[in-house]
Amino acid sequence: MKEQEGFVDYPDQQMILYVEKDDGKYGPMQTGSYLSANYMEDYIYKRRNLEMGLREQLINGSISPVKYYMVLVDLSLSELAARTKIRKSRVNKHLEPKHFGSATTAELTKYAAVFNIPVANLFQVVLVKNDGNFESNLILENKGGKISVDHKPTGSPYIVLTKIEERP
Amino acid sequence: MIIENFNHKMAAHCESGTITSLLNHGGLNITEPMVFGIASGIFFGYFHKMKSFAFPTFIVRNKPGQMRINIEKRLGVRFKTYDFKDPVKGQQTLDLLLHQNRPTAAQVDFFYMDYVPSWERVHINVHFLVVAGKENNRYIISDAYFPKMVELDAVSLEKGRFAAGNMSPKGFIFHLDKLPSEIDYHKAITKGIKKACFYMLSIPIPFLGIKGMRMFAKKVVEWPQFARDTEHLSHEIMKINILLEDQGTGGAGFRFMYATFLQQAAAMISKPELKELSGELMEIGDGWREISLFSARIGKNRDLGPAKLKQLSEMIYDRADVEERFFKSLSRVIK
Repeated sequence: MKEQEGFVDYPDQQMILYVEKDDGKYGPMQTGSYLSANYMEDYIYKRRNLEMGLREQLINGSISPVKYYMVLVDLSLSELAARTKIRKSRVNKHLEPKHFGSATTAELTKYAAVFNIPVANLFQVVLVKNDGNFESNLILENKGGKISVDHKPTGSPYIVLTKIEERP
Repeated sequence: MIIENFNHKMAAHCESGTITSLLNHGGLNITEPMVFGIASGIFFGYFHKMKSFAFPTFIVRNKPGQMRINIEKRLGVRFKTYDFKDPVKGQQTLDLLLHQNRPTAAQVDFFYMDYVPSWERVHINVHFLVVAGKENNRYIISDAYFPKMVELDAVSLEKGRFAAGNMSPKGFIFHLDKLPSEIDYHKAITKGIKKACFYMLSIPIPFLGIKGMRMFAKKVVEWPQFARDTEHLSHEIMKINILLEDQGTGGAGFRFMYATFLQQAAAMISKPELKELSGELMEIGDGWREISLFSARIGKNRDLGPAKLKQLSEMIYDRADVEERFFKSLSRVIK
């Protein structure tokens, strides 16, 4: 690939591409991501639809919060079990709403650690009003919404301080 | 404190970039493509049904961690490695090494690296970075994917270093221990290329090397049966672009970087045939790049019917054919 063919102007996601320089030598060039530059909106669109679909299933009781986050962060059942060190059959049970209630606090803490969320978020979905619609904070933080929601951990593994404020 | 004279430099790939960075800091003038080539980094593997992955996927480089091992063997450098059961000990050792002014590489789960935009973060336990200092409770990180050094709080680094799951890091860190007084580049380059040819042509496993490419070509038409819906399929098809381009490959699934290695190797060991082959691989890489762009386009347009997937499959079969010829030629040249 020639140097001029590879360059993409996208400062938000830079990368190194190996290209053919004008003198025929191959070497590195810093450039932007072609995919992000051209397809980011589509990615966000799909993420939003995925979250909304999962949230609907969560609310109507067809999936558990564990399943909601497992799909959102793109983990397989085996990988989630390995990461939480909870038996696979037990994780499988926790994917169903009727068995989610049997998860212990210790198990919920392990799930929250893997999803990198406060334990409290296994019992709530934080929605933020953006352009007239309520949307999940998980999606809004992707595109820098007007409101920031910051979950500050505390000394207690079960308590989080959630700070909501307008972005400067 | 930040380690004296440590120069952060972006690189195409986290592991080859990290190793290059440590070697450069230690005084060895070596490029990332040379590290990648000597370490036999180029590879292909297809995983149709693997429990650790939520969807079929493929890889375009050798096993994570193997580059360091190969570089040690072939260049005669020595890295000191550590892994830990206890995160407290893991952090204490890292801090001690930083106090000794040693830039230290760490293996982490990319998901917890909160300097990365949230939409880019995925659970992958084989991201490598260099810890280049610590100020208060924040580490100074040289991550090859970022133009400048970044900061990461101690809690996030610990989460990343001690994440469980497939290929869990177990707190793994390493630093340069010793450089040899002399390096036989001819031997190192030859060995690196021979092993890469073996991996691509002769490894007796049906989903690895050129055989793996053909399996990918054959199986990609079955991807719709694994998808929840069209948008999920679109996402997974567009991930082909990410795996080939954006996920730290230097473009075209490492083919451009390996072409650069061959060009540098040709001059270094006076083997002009390698230069010709480097040009050939650059063109092969352009074909992979077409696959990346095609995948992004059909994914975006939700044009994911059997005809388009068959077209994608044929493009991959074609890459398998040209790469088989290429690696056979490379194998003959390096004998």
